[in-house]
Parts: sequence; structure tokens; C-alpha cells
Amino acid sequence: MPNATKPPHWATQLLTWWGHPDTREDVQGDLLELYHYWVRTVGKRRADWRYCLNALRLLRPLAKSKQAREYPPPFLLSPDMLRNYFTIAWRNLNRNRAFSAINIVGLSIGLATCILISLFVFDELSYDRYNEKADRIVRVVFKGTMNGEKMREANVMPLVAKTLESTFPEVQATTRIRSGEATRFAYGDNEFKEERFYFADSTFFQVFTLPLIKGDTRTALSQPNTLVISSATAQKYFGNDDPIGKVLTVKARQTNYTVTGVFAEVPTNSHVHFDVLGSMATLPEANQANWLISNFFTYLLLPEGYDYHKLEAKLPRIVDTYMGPALKQMTGISLAQFREQGNDVGLFLQPMTDIHLHSDLKPETELEPGGDVRYVYIFGAIAVFMLLLACINFMNLSTAGASKRAKEVGIRKALGSEKGKLVGQFLVESMLLTGLALTLAVGLVYLVLPLFNELSGKALRLDMVQTPWILPALLGFGLVVSLLAGSYPAFFLSSFNPIAILKGGANALRVANGRTSIGLRSSLVVVQFFVSISLMIGTTVVYRQLSYIQDIKLGYDKEQVLILEGTSALGKNEAVLRQQLAQDARVVNASVSAFLPNTRYNVGLVSMQPEGNARQLTRLALFGIDDQYLPTLGMKLAAGRNFSAANQTDGFGVIINETAARHFGWGNQALGRKLLLPSINGQRDTDRTYEVIGVVRDFHFRSLHERIAPMVMFNSTNSGCILVKTRTKDVAGLLASVQERWTGFNTDEPFRYGFMDEKYQSMYEAEVKTGRILSLFAGLTIFVACLGLFGLATFSAEQRTKEIGVRKVLGASVTNIVALLSTDFLKPVLIALILASPVAWYAMNRWLRGFAYKIDIEWWMFALAGIAAIGIALLTVSFQSIKAALMNPVKSLRSE
Amino acid sequence: MKRAFLGEFEEVVMLTVAILDEEAYGVTVTQEIEQKTGRSVGFSTVHTTLQRLEEKGFLASRMGGATAERGGRRKRFFTVTAAGRKALRDVKQVREELWRSLPPQTLQLITG
Repeated sequence: MPNATKPPHWATQLLTWWGHPDTREDVQGDLLELYHYWVRTVGKRRADWRYCLNALRLLRPLAKSKQAREYPPPFLLSPDMLRNYFTIAWRNLNRNRAFSAINIVGLSIGLATCILISLFVFDELSYDRYNEKADRIVRVVFKGTMNGEKMREANVMPLVAKTLESTFPEVQATTRIRSGEATRFAYGDNEFKEERFYFADSTFFQVFTLPLIKGDTRTALSQPNTLVISSATAQKYFGNDDPIGKVLTVKARQTNYTVTGVFAEVPTNSHVHFDVLGSMATLPEANQANWLISNFFTYLLLPEGYDYHKLEAKLPRIVDTYMGPALKQMTGISLAQFREQGNDVGLFLQPMTDIHLHSDLKPETELEPGGDVRYVYIFGAIAVFMLLLACINFMNLSTAGASKRAKEVGIRKALGSEKGKLVGQFLVESMLLTGLALTLAVGLVYLVLPLFNELSGKALRLDMVQTPWILPALLGFGLVVSLLAGSYPAFFLSSFNPIAILKGGANALRVANGRTSIGLRSSLVVVQFFVSISLMIGTTVVYRQLSYIQDIKLGYDKEQVLILEGTSALGKNEAVLRQQLAQDARVVNASVSAFLPNTRYNVGLVSMQPEGNARQLTRLALFGIDDQYLPTLGMKLAAGRNFSAANQTDGFGVIINETAARHFGWGNQALGRKLLLPSINGQRDTDRTYEVIGVVRDFHFRSLHERIAPMVMFNSTNSGCILVKTRTKDVAGLLASVQERWTGFNTDEPFRYGFMDEKYQSMYEAEVKTGRILSLFAGLTIFVACLGLFGLATFSAEQRTKEIGVRKVLGASVTNIVALLSTDFLKPVLIALILASPVAWYAMNRWLRGFAYKIDIEWWMFALAGIAAIGIALLTVSFQSIKAALMNPVKSLRSE
Repeated sequence: MKRAFLGEFEEVVMLTVAILDEEAYGVTVTQEIEQKTGRSVGFSTVHTTLQRLEEKGFLASRMGGATAERGGRRKRFFTVTAAGRKALRDVKQVREELWRSLPPQTLQLITG
């Protein structure tokens, strides 16, 4: 029939879609017949017109078939069909055991990773949200610049809370927390050291949500020398007795505290944890009108729905009114002059829910080290990628295995199964598989959770009883995954043309399965290796940076340095012990100091100015050292001399570091210069002047995240720790003899010690953790990607059995064939490498920016990851390709 | 007994189906009506009427007779059922009674 006499296609199509289903056939036939009649009688144009008009008038979009079908198809989810689906699915799983295992294991690893990371991410995001008023609580923080140094501190001055509350009506309540330092409490013979000891205002319970098991939140902390303690702590001291009213003694300070309340436990997802909380009323300095010393973490409760920025905008007034005069008194310059010099100080607000993840404050001023939102993003991305990888594997293996299912699809369709039913069947299958994988994944999570907690430093739990929403969440998650992974194979498999399949067998399939799906599968392999190569590069960079941190010349010798802690408790005997140790043959040198580089004994700051130049008032890091300190830690002097016990005037001498010398513009002529320490109360006559007697070579006294800051060392008989440089291999023997001496001094203080290199290591715990977690996930993604690659290689080898046979008959060697089969898989890996390199470079560059001292990202890191990926891919593929290449061609060609 | 109601167009369609005997399906009915009555009727109207009459039980249908011209689709042939025949008869009877009761001079005027 000529084309000219065809009716408008769209009208026919509309009729097919929305015509009445019962009369569709005869109506279409009739219209077609009439159309030809019209073309003959009235011409094509009119015929078209009539055809369309009639078609449109015959649309019955809402009509449903009224005919009862002779053989109604069984309901998709009827028990018989379900049983059939499960039987078939089970047989399929069983027949291809290796692939089923690859599929399920790969998927369950992906799911387990995803569940683990979700737990981690949810925990990170939940910080402080347990507080009923979490959205209304803000913390007052201190930010400023002083001579180029940025100050960002989490704590503020004592009277900020009271001043804000009385000045601004929108501040509904305030409370302050102050660190109490580790303190030994005693109740009778029960004496313990409480590391997590803080002071808080009596209003604490109005702002924070912390129910008391015993005691009254309104009165618990209102009196001086009162405490609330955790129930575990109460158990420790008092056993099962009622703790209320009992008295705990701090012998060192000869103070008594009465217990007035017991709380269960501070939730783990809080930015501050304490076992003992003392009343702020105990501390006289809590009400001191001091506007220059920050020690108090100050929280405000704002009205519901109040935008804290409005209050923040009013805070400069407080700074001008209260901090200005204090500054003028101390330095002699007014706030305006201070600002003219490019300096500034100010109070700002920080929502409580931002404290854990979004804080830009200096971590050492925080109550506890916080989290980092970047890690939340990175881990979230890893979780999504892992899941994606596993789903891709699933799709890849299912579509690659299509040849095995094609006949089944053909027969099912010939027997009257509809496409929708087949899609349903395959989705049920993927749900079954996902269900198995999910069960395995949950088991895996339970197994790995302790290890993961150790890595991440958290106490995560997958507790289905305590958190009832977990089970439905898991099921929903499984459903989503099975739809995600199963929908493409389901539609792909069910779209086969039954005639082509049943007639042409494998050939037809190759057409159906042809180029597009091979292209698709290769691109899926690209995605998988993109992720694993990126993670590999990331891991390499993190480990290189860690080893750089390990090997960097710190400017002092951290090896073989023993640190005895808490020696201030020895009183006068501290010096005696040092003397004894210094004379020991196994000891090179010993020194007493409370200031250790790269530890928490490193918080001293002092503001000084060069004599006659008040404008250069600078906050300097402060170290108080004795004459043995520099030799004990192997620090070198760039100029001048060390302190000397013989020199009486050294009390007014200081040693500065090279950075400080440069900062003051002294260069190499620092010796003999004078530094002025302004007195706190502003009385000029009590200012003290120090002479620079030495310049110490720069050494890293803070973490490598920060540049070396200007510092000053005073000669002072401070106490706190004894540093011992040893020369012996027998550290245990030395320790034993030191402990003997320690007990000989008859002190209450327990013998505690540490090693300098270990303390240095612990500074980078977060980075080490990141490295470990990254390498774990890199390993996992590679494993999952290889599983997928292995499956694909197997199928590819299987499909090309005949080709390989023919090639071998025609004289191809085993090497030829292995190369042929392997190169197919190398291309996607290479593409992945090219794509992953810039992404990984960008991400790791961002990460390294957090360090002031860092490695450069070099080309070999990418090459290494690339070679590793290619090697692993080749190894995976070669197993199958060698097997295929070694096969006897007679066998593969015989059965045609 | 209650008499079945037939619309004028329905009556025409029924009669056409009866005329065409075994060959009555959408196309032939449409063409026949056009030729016999000279009025142009849309296929959709005829089709809808045929459907309605089948629903009322006046017509019965069966499928068959696919041709290449119809793209291999079968026709739906209609035949008049007993109920249909009775309905037609009723209508005719009513008409004839009405005609008969016309006064002669009026009859003269109309047939004139």
C-alpha cells in the first residue's frame, strides 16, 4: 500500500492508547477501511480530516474493558505466582552459585558500609539536639585579631553572661561552664581522680536538658561547694547508699563539696561530658569584673523563633562599654586606637547545634575536641558511592547473565506473560537477593561495629529494641536498593522479543544485548574504578602526610624522652627527684617544666611589647623553663646563651624563638633587646622589663596545622612535669626504679608517666583515624569493584567461547588470547584513572590546606594508584581469561 | 406490555443492519445509511449507536472477516436479535396506527 494513503499516525496512536479497549480492534479496522473509501471518494485531505475527527470522537479514555476474559491472567502477587517466582529465583541463584555469591557479597558489603556510615553521620548530626531547647541556645564566643594573630576562642569573660542578661531583655536565661581540671575527690577511703570535672551556674538546668534522678534542678547548684554527679560516679564512691547530702573532699585544696544531685549520664552526642559538676558559686573569680581573661563558656537562652543575628548585632556595644576601658587600663591605648592598628576584638554568637560540626574556633579553647563537617560530607559521599558500586555490580551481573534467562523470558512471554508481570517477577527476584544481602549486611555491621567504633572513636550502636525506627528504616532502605539495582535488569530482561529469542537463540540475544549494553557496562566499570582510584589516591596522600608529620624535623628531639606527670604534687621533692634522675647513669639529662611542646601542657600565652613600642604589643606563646630544658630536649640556640643557674640576673632574661625575633623586626640583632610585660592593673611602675639573652631555633611547639608562632621562654622554677632524656634500652628497668623513688616520697599522687613521641603521635589521632578509615573504604571499594569485574570477565569469556576456539584453531597463542580478553577491561580502568586524578587532586589539596606544614601532591601518587588499579584489574580478569584461553578448542567448537 | 423505545436514528440503524443481513458492520452500515437516506452521518455516531443497541440487547455481534485493507483487523458483524425484531415491529405498528388514525382530509394534505 502506498504511503500516501496512510491516515495520520497520531490519530491512530491516540486511538490505540485511549480507545475503548473492548472495541479497539474493530473500530480501528473500520476506520481504516473507511479511510481508504474516503480517499477514493472525497480525496486525501478530507479523508484525513474525517479520520481524525472520527478518531477523536471515539476516544474513551476512562473506559474499562467489560469483557470477562476467557483465561484471566493470574494476579501478580497471588500466592501461586509468588511461589513460582521464589522457586525460579532460588533455582537461578543455585545454578549460578559463584555469581550469586559475588552479587550477594558485593551488595551486602555495600549495604553494610552504607549502614555503618549512616549511623556515624546521624550521630554526628545529632550532637546537642537532645536538649529540648537546642534551637534556642547560643554560645557567646570571642573573636579578634591582635598583631596579625587571629583569636577565636570558645570561652569569654566572667561577667559576659550577667551583663548580657541584664542589658538585653531577649536573653531569657544564661548559664556558664568552667573547666575544673582533673581533681582527686575522696569519700572515706574511696579516692578517685575525676578527669571530667566542671563548674556550672545554678541556671544550668534551665538552659540544658539534664534530668536529675535525685535532687532538685532548681536548687541543686545554687549553694557554694555543692556538686551534682553522675550515677556511675555515685556508685563508685558511695556504693548503694543515697548520695544526697554526702560530702566529697578535695584534699589538695582542703575543700569539701556536698552532693546535691545525681544525673544518669550526659548523652554521648553532647559537646561537653562531665561526671562531676560543681556549683559556680564555689569560685570567687566567677563574679570578678575582669574583662581581659576568658575562662567561661557562656550560653544564652533566646526566645522561640528569635534570630540570634539580631542580638549579635548589638554585642559591639557591650565590647565598647566594658572591654574598652579594661584594654585602655592595661595597654594604655583606647579601643579606637587599638582598632586603628588593624586589631580588633569582639563578642559573637554561635548556635549550640553548630558547636560540634561547624565551629571555626580554636580547638584548644574548646571544652572537648569537636567533629568536622568535612568528614561528614566525605563519609556521606563514600556511603553513597559504595551503595552505587554495589548496585552497579548487581545490574552488571544481572544483564550480563541475561543469556541464561533469555529462553525463560521467551517461553514465559509465549505462554502469555505480559511485560509488566515479567518486570514484577524480576523485581521480586532482586528483592529476594537484596533481602539476603541486607540480612548479611546487618550481621556484618554487628560484627564490625566494635572495630569501627575504635577507628572512629565513637560509641555507635545498631539497637533495634532501643531505637524502634531502625527496623522499618532498614526495610525501606532494602526496598529502595532492590528497586534501584533491580529495575534496570528487570526492564532489560523483560523487553526481549520472544520470537527472536526462541528462534535465533544466542544470536538474537547478542543483538538485544548488543553495543549499547556493552557500552553501558563499561561505563559502569569506569564509575566503579573512578571511586576506588580516587580513594586510593586519597589514602596515599593522607599516609604520606602522616609520615611527613612523623619525619619532619621538629627542632627538638622527641625520641627517648620520658615524661613524669603530676610531679608538682611532690613539692620540694620535685627538684630532688630531678637531681637524682640527672645523676642516674641511664639518663642523659632531666628538666622540670610544665610546658611541653605538642601536648596539652602548652597553653601559656603572654602579651608583651618591645620596649618603647606599645604598638607592637603581641601575644606570645609562653614557656617557663629551667636551665636544663634546652639540652634535655636537644633544642639549639641560634644566638646567645641558655639560662644558667649560676647567673643571678637570668630571672630578668628571656629566650625568644627566631619567629619572634623576625616578628619584632630584630633579625639577627635580637640579643640585648628589651621586652616589656605590661602589668595587668595598668600601673606603669609594676611593668617588668626582660632582656633577650638568647634566640632558640624555631621548633614546632604546636601541631603542624599551625605555623610556628612567636614565643618567649622565661627562666622560672615552675613545676608540673619532669622530662627525662634517657640513653638506655631498658626503659622498663628505669621506670621501675623511678617508681620506687616516687613511692619513697610518700605522696598521694599516683605515679604517671608518658613518652614524648607518643604524646606527639596522639596530637594527630584525628588524621591517623582518617587515614585508617579511608584505607578501609578504599580496600572495600576495590574489593567490590573487583567482584564486579570478575563477574563480567567470566561472562565475557563465556560468551566468546566460540570465538576463542576459532582463534586457537587458527593459531592464536594463549598469550594472544589472554591479551585480547584483558585489554577490553583495561580501557575503562584507564579512563577511570584519567577522570579520578583531577578530582582526587582537588579534594586532597583541600584537605592539605588544613596544615601549615604539608607535603606536595606529586605525580607518582596518581601513577601508583593507577598502577595498583590496573594491576588489580588485570589480576582479576586474568584468572578468567587464562582459563578461557587454556580451554581445548575441540570442546568449545564441538557442540554447534 | 411495555413497549421498547427506539430513537429515530436508532431505528434507521437497526433497519440498515436488517437490510444488510449478514454483511452488517460499521463501515457497511455507515455507507448504506449515507446511500439510502442521503444524509451524511459520521462513523463515530453510527459506531456509538451500534454499541448502544447492542447494550440494549437489540443487536448481537460477532468478530470475523479480517482483510488486508483493514490492516488485518477483524470486523464486528451485527445481527438483529429477537428483541430487536420485536422492537422494530412495535415501532412500525405504532407508526401505522398513527397513520391510520389520521383524518382523511389531513391525510390528503400530507400525501397530496
